Amino acid sequence: MTKSIDGAVLPDVPDLARMRTERHARLQAQMSSSGVDALLLLGTNPVAYATGAEAPGADSGRAGLLRPVALVVGGDPQAHLFTPYPDGAPAELAEDHLHPAIYPELPDGAAAAAAAVSELVPSGSRLAVDELPHPLAAALGSYEITGASGLLGPARLVKTPDELACIRTAQHINELAMARVQPQLRPGVRQNDLSAWFLEAIFDLGATGNGIDPIWQVMPDRLADGPWTTHGDVAFPTASTDRILRAGDVVWVDTGIDWHGYASDFGRTWLVDPLAAPTGRQAGQFRRWDEVVAAVLDILKPGVTALELGRAAIEANGGTRPWVEHFYLAHGLGTESAEMPMIGTDLGDAFDDRLVMAPGMVLVLEPVIWDEGEGGYRSEDIFAVTDDGWVALSDHPYDPYGSRSW
Amino acid sequence: MITAGAGTAALPEGGRVDFARLRRERRARLLEAMAEAGLDVLVLGRPANITYASGARQLWTAGARPFGPGAVVMAGSGRVHLLSTWDDGVPDEIGHDQLFGLSWNPARIAANLAAIPGLASAGRIGTDGWSPGAGSLITSVAPGAEVVAAGPALAGARGTKTVDELACLRTAAAAAEAGMAALVEALRPGVTERQLMGVHAAALARLGLPTPPIEAAACLMPAVGGGPGGPGRLRRLVSDRAAQAGQMVALTAGAIYAGYEATLSRTWLVGAGGGGGGGAGGADGAGGRVASAAQKEVAGRARSLRDARVAACRPGAVSDLLGPGERAGSEPVAWGVGLGMEPPLLGAGLGAGVQLPAGMTMAVQAWAAAPGSEAGGALEADVVLVGADGPELLTRFGSCPALSSDVVH
Repeated sequence: MTKSIDGAVLPDVPDLARMRTERHARLQAQMSSSGVDALLLLGTNPVAYATGAEAPGADSGRAGLLRPVALVVGGDPQAHLFTPYPDGAPAELAEDHLHPAIYPELPDGAAAAAAAVSELVPSGSRLAVDELPHPLAAALGSYEITGASGLLGPARLVKTPDELACIRTAQHINELAMARVQPQLRPGVRQNDLSAWFLEAIFDLGATGNGIDPIWQVMPDRLADGPWTTHGDVAFPTASTDRILRAGDVVWVDTGIDWHGYASDFGRTWLVDPLAAPTGRQAGQFRRWDEVVAAVLDILKPGVTALELGRAAIEANGGTRPWVEHFYLAHGLGTESAEMPMIGTDLGDAFDDRLVMAPGMVLVLEPVIWDEGEGGYRSEDIFAVTDDGWVALSDHPYDPYGSRSW
Repeated sequence: MITAGAGTAALPEGGRVDFARLRRERRARLLEAMAEAGLDVLVLGRPANITYASGARQLWTAGARPFGPGAVVMAGSGRVHLLSTWDDGVPDEIGHDQLFGLSWNPARIAANLAAIPGLASAGRIGTDGWSPGAGSLITSVAPGAEVVAAGPALAGARGTKTVDELACLRTAAAAAEAGMAALVEALRPGVTERQLMGVHAAALARLGLPTPPIEAAACLMPAVGGGPGGPGRLRRLVSDRAAQAGQMVALTAGAIYAGYEATLSRTWLVGAGGGGGGGAGGADGAGGRVASAAQKEVAGRARSLRDARVAACRPGAVSDLLGPGERAGSEPVAWGVGLGMEPPLLGAGLGAGVQLPAGMTMAVQAWAAAPGSEAGGALEADVVLVGADGPELLTRFGSCPALSSDVVH
């Protein structure tokens, strides 16, 4: 197997400027093919994709009111950036493309926001938006508004080699942090203590942000002993508290950090005991998880459909779907912590049958092995589809369960 | 009764915050605001609004997420329907029949919404966001409805705080102060801005609180290195630059408790000691480093500006808040704070006609710049309750002794 993406090798260190240029070209190509004159983006992750602008990690309320905004004009070599955080603008961004912040969420900010847009995009133009807060909608009445998801999705679906290197770096930081956290796991430690060690470690190791409050969910043996769910399947992920961990607890770990706009996704199952060894049933759950991943990797290459990958996973799990109903066997990863391609969602088989793997796609495989009465096992690993197979972007042990086979 | 001071542990007699009353009063305010605005339904996608309506303990994620239906409030029944696949973190008054599960399939999401009694026949629906996709979803479920902005109704309900909301804010303030103490303690030559961010986040997690509301813990002065930040400007993005003795640093700490946020900022001198008694350079409280005249001048200017803005947090017009220095910064000088940052935002061209009501809580910040000097600039910020009789500071933390003009050296 080669490790190339469209003939290009995965760099050890990403070239962030080159990456931004290539992403911009993809957006421009999508805009051109969908007849969009300009693209106005407000969402934290779409703006990061379109501009490469960095912003401090922030709670959703603050991120909604003090937001960087991107305006991509058709044919323009760079995106315009309106930001309250000018120190986060990419170094190569031209001075006339960097603007003061606009406040499209606020009734007293929307008019100025619309005026800023109208200086760069003639009225009557076809303007694609990801979000359109009511105040801004009222102020942008002179444009033909359309949704941006149809062009953002295809642009982001396939990653450049630099993007893959960013994901690998983010994941490496996350894994190194976990190597510091797991030895602390013992009876009496609280979920929030683990979060404290984790957060201190990720920033010490170079993370640019934390993406999600760390999850250290104690799993029940039987579904009836866990939270009630709308579908009767496993509840996961639930938010951490100051819950005190006890000997024998089985903890499903799930965290995600940010590194220059790219997300990591770390998932493992841990046992709370300094001398923990899995029971025979638990060891069997891990082996089953490993077999499911191996079966998927065995056929993963360009041209295979999401439906085929899902079926291989089900077959390796003895005919039972090895993922929880509200999620998926696998999801993509990039500037979003979960994005397309997704395999096995409730979008259904017809959707999965049309979703064909291509070089540069990312899959976070996260099979869940549930063994009613004996709990379950869940871990996540990240893979990129290469020109003739796959390459792993994650690399972390499965202690205390054993080793992977692939 | 709130007699045990700020803390996060449950107490046998019922604890510091009556959360059942908190939720009841918030829901009543929301329904009242809906009635005033003539809204039959609220469809909420912003996590803070979902918290306000439902009281559900949500998983913290960074950034502004796309608008989608996360909670649906029905005026007729007074019931709150919630997007949650499980009942963990969901208050008892929201029954299982009021939960709808996560779905990736627009047809299923539409079916879940359509199953909410009264939604399909609603006449007027308020939403706190809009996108072409989510918008067509809502109109497909309620084809006869007029969809309008819910922002004014939400701002009206959330703007002034109940006694339990204030108790949550005071707890968040105490936690934010703990975060500031941890920053001052860790501040010594060699520590990087990014490491300070980790110290701050860890301090809050040790108190049992989620990831802080803003990961902008430290900005070393002066802002060197060119770029749009330039000297004399506050950077909100931490870097890997390491603190040097004698340098000033703008520290920002923040905490979220039960969804409520408090933040504060202080400017400290590296190597001056203080706070927890740590810091390199001496154990005498003032530390071994002595601030320059320029550093003291700009630090004093920031404190004075902060004090003036705090004093201006009185019921009525905001002209005093939007006075001197308003145009100097790229950020607003004050904003509402409760379940995170809230309207109104004041400064940066915003908020000119705003009237502050008594009972609103504001985050107030003051940035004083010293362009071209080694001092760089100084930042001070606090959270203030707009009291009927005048402002009440909710955050409490001293200033760096070495930057106080009354320190004799």
